Amino acid sequence: MIAFREVSARYPRDRRDVLDGVSLVAAAGSVTAIVGPNGSGKTTLVRLLLRLLPLRAGRIELDARPLPTIDARAFARRVAVVPQRENAVFSLPVHEYVALGRYPHEGPWRAATARDAALVDQAMNDAGIAELAGRDVRGLSGGEWQRARIARALAQDGAALVLDEPTTFLDVGHEMAMFELFAALARAGRAVLVISHQLNLVARFADAMVLLHQGRVAAAGAPATVMQAAILERVYEWPLVVTRDPAVGAPTLVPLRGRRGSSGRERSRPPEPPS
Amino acid sequence: MPRASGRDDFGGELPRFAIPPRRIVSLNPATTDLLFAIHAGPRIVGRSKWDLYPDSARLVPSLGDALRPNVEAVLGARPDLVILYASEDNRPAYDRLREQDVAVIALRIDRVEHFDRTARLLGSLTGNAAAGAEVADSVQRTIARVRDATRTLPRPRVFWRIWDAPLITIGRGSFLSQLVDIAGARNIYEDIAAPSQQVTFEDVVRRDPDFILVGPEGGQIVARDPAWRAIRAVREGRVRIVDTTLVGRPSVRLGEAALHLARLLHPDADVR
Amino acid sequence: MRRALWVLAPLVLLVLCGLAIALGPVPLGLAGVRDGLLGVGDANAIAIVRAIRLPRLVLAVIVGAALGMAGGALQGSLRNALAEPYLLGVSGGAAVGAVLAFGAGVRGAFAIPIFACLGAGASVAAVLLLARAAGGRADPRVLIMAGVIIGAFANAVIMVVLANAPPNTVRGAVWWMMGSVADAGWPQIRWLGAYVLVGAAVLLLMARDIDVLALGEEPAAALGLNVDRSARRIYLAASLLAAATVAAAGLIGFVGLMVPHIVRAFGIRRHRALLVGAALVGAALVVAADLVARTAMPPAELPLGAVTALLGVPFFLLRLRTLA
Repeated sequence: MIAFREVSARYPRDRRDVLDGVSLVAAAGSVTAIVGPNGSGKTTLVRLLLRLLPLRAGRIELDARPLPTIDARAFARRVAVVPQRENAVFSLPVHEYVALGRYPHEGPWRAATARDAALVDQAMNDAGIAELAGRDVRGLSGGEWQRARIARALAQDGAALVLDEPTTFLDVGHEMAMFELFAALARAGRAVLVISHQLNLVARFADAMVLLHQGRVAAAGAPATVMQAAILERVYEWPLVVTRDPAVGAPTLVPLRGRRGSSGRERSRPPEPPS
Repeated sequence: MPRASGRDDFGGELPRFAIPPRRIVSLNPATTDLLFAIHAGPRIVGRSKWDLYPDSARLVPSLGDALRPNVEAVLGARPDLVILYASEDNRPAYDRLREQDVAVIALRIDRVEHFDRTARLLGSLTGNAAAGAEVADSVQRTIARVRDATRTLPRPRVFWRIWDAPLITIGRGSFLSQLVDIAGARNIYEDIAAPSQQVTFEDVVRRDPDFILVGPEGGQIVARDPAWRAIRAVREGRVRIVDTTLVGRPSVRLGEAALHLARLLHPDADVR
Repeated sequence: MRRALWVLAPLVLLVLCGLAIALGPVPLGLAGVRDGLLGVGDANAIAIVRAIRLPRLVLAVIVGAALGMAGGALQGSLRNALAEPYLLGVSGGAAVGAVLAFGAGVRGAFAIPIFACLGAGASVAAVLLLARAAGGRADPRVLIMAGVIIGAFANAVIMVVLANAPPNTVRGAVWWMMGSVADAGWPQIRWLGAYVLVGAAVLLLMARDIDVLALGEEPAAALGLNVDRSARRIYLAASLLAAATVAAAGLIGFVGLMVPHIVRAFGIRRHRALLVGAALVGAALVVAADLVARTAMPPAELPLGAVTALLGVPFFLLRLRTLA
């Protein structure tokens, strides 16, 4: 549904491309995950989608139509994006904040309908913040705030959902709940595109993974294909092993200690298992 | 320049009165002073807060500032004639009063000839043309006398220090410069057309005046400030204190003012 | 809490309007005021009420409403609770226009306001262009900085003009800059009223956009807002509204800054309601300030800008305490 084809981009005043010939597809009915080290260009993909940065080369397509032919509002009705960071400058009750997600569907004359209210309630339930409805957004904890932002995107009721680092502040329980939600949404037919640091979590829930490295695709495909120790070590520049725990059912990355403790980036042999 | 008769200095028609006005608001020290001089003082029902001469003027209720006057207060005094100073600041009030059909005139009183014309005009407006003419003529006679007395005397060059921070003096557009001329002297800044001008200290030193004219507070400052000793006139003790009550505005005492200046600037001659 | 505002604000405004007509340096008494309004009785009282106090009151209401709305719109769209209507170069540019007009000896009732408006317009354009050249498309921080730069430049120009100007010009210009609704006239009010009505309608139509803009650039884009275009339109509409008030009444500070805070203190968040509330509270504030300006030291008048500033300082001290 969302396709990046040979996309290159550069920030103004930078000398090198931050993305160079990146192609990936987020298909409907699946969870696609983009992973990679800091600075590999993951968030830039989101910025390009939001048209906050111009393309230097390549195309972005939504439903096989090029992005420039789609009006921003029409795009927002179809695709809900949760950017990485957001500050709440003004006080606002949580349910009004989530209700702003209906903006792409509103016009200046149209009042909120019962359907709008129902969608907002549903979104808050799905994100697990129904009981926070009357609280001020400025008084929420990091995790509550993040879930409120996801709720707003859910209220947009788009066919696709794009999330940039959606679980940074969430504890284990909430994190798992969010990913279960993403999987459920995908099963129901939406396209879910997640950018995340949490390789292990992603490997369990994603149908497709894309590994970015210095603006290029280093590996793509099913989690098993991408989660290879050799590739990951090269990209993340840290010694690690990839194991497979039958209880988990998905490849798991385990980083190893460096030679000089936690500060060094040197390769080292894995310690000998105790005999 | 005095305008052709029939119009005031804002270009408005002069009012015609079937009977002379009995309730006059005068928002200008010079015209208030003049009205008292032509025996129309009792008819003044409102003055500006700056109108302090003659002493009996202080008994008249003050209606506020002479510039940007409080129109409501003026209307509250129910005047049948309002006299404003012809500054652009007063144009809104002038228009507003005209809209309410109140007789209002705006007069410029910056020069000796303005005073002459104003005295005669106010005289005729208040139904006492003779008094107005008398005041104007009396001033003219004194001025002529002073001119004659100083005609043959050497003309000293004079710097008049009006203000200190910044340093301001008079140009030939000011009646004070005219007074200096009448008193048989030369304003060293008569080349400036404006009534007043900010000047630099060094320029004053360069022009090398023979006399410095100051007001009483100014005299203290000049005496104490060592910087002023750069001017020859200060070093030679030729700083003259001017009586500011006489020269504050063009008034009925213009003649006296000219006399006063002539005596200050020609101490050896006997000017009367 | 919200309902309280919709009851209190119109009520307070009405009471203040009544006081503004009834009080002044000339005591008229209630009967005198009523007769004056109806156009019967003493010609002087009629003139005072209808030609002096009434237009002044109407001008104060229009100016206050415009400043309140402009302030609310800018605070939301710039995501800054300390933004105010003069921020994007309006006051500096308008003052330059007015001072140049004074200096050139321009005459006529509409002359100064037109020059002030042109100056403000040029200044706002300069700020937007400067911000774009600096690469910050609609970045509030870049805009605010551009506003400060243009404002500083305008101040320098004013100082140069006034330093070499005759005393009359200086006095007139300084008085104008201190703000006043004393020269209110019906023709001027008609123009201003029409202009403000259009500007206010534009802002109200974009109120929902302000709600979204207030979230931030990325979230706003994510919700389908064309951030650049919307932000620019809002800045222009708010600034032009403020410019019109400056042209008509000089610089009246703090109103646009305080009023949105007052409205928000009643729990109003959505900008459609906030802008309407700001119009009401802004009108009430300026009418009250003008009342104080006229009656504090009769028959002299305090400059309106000074009274609003004096009101603003304790207001913000109180606000700081509640924030801390």
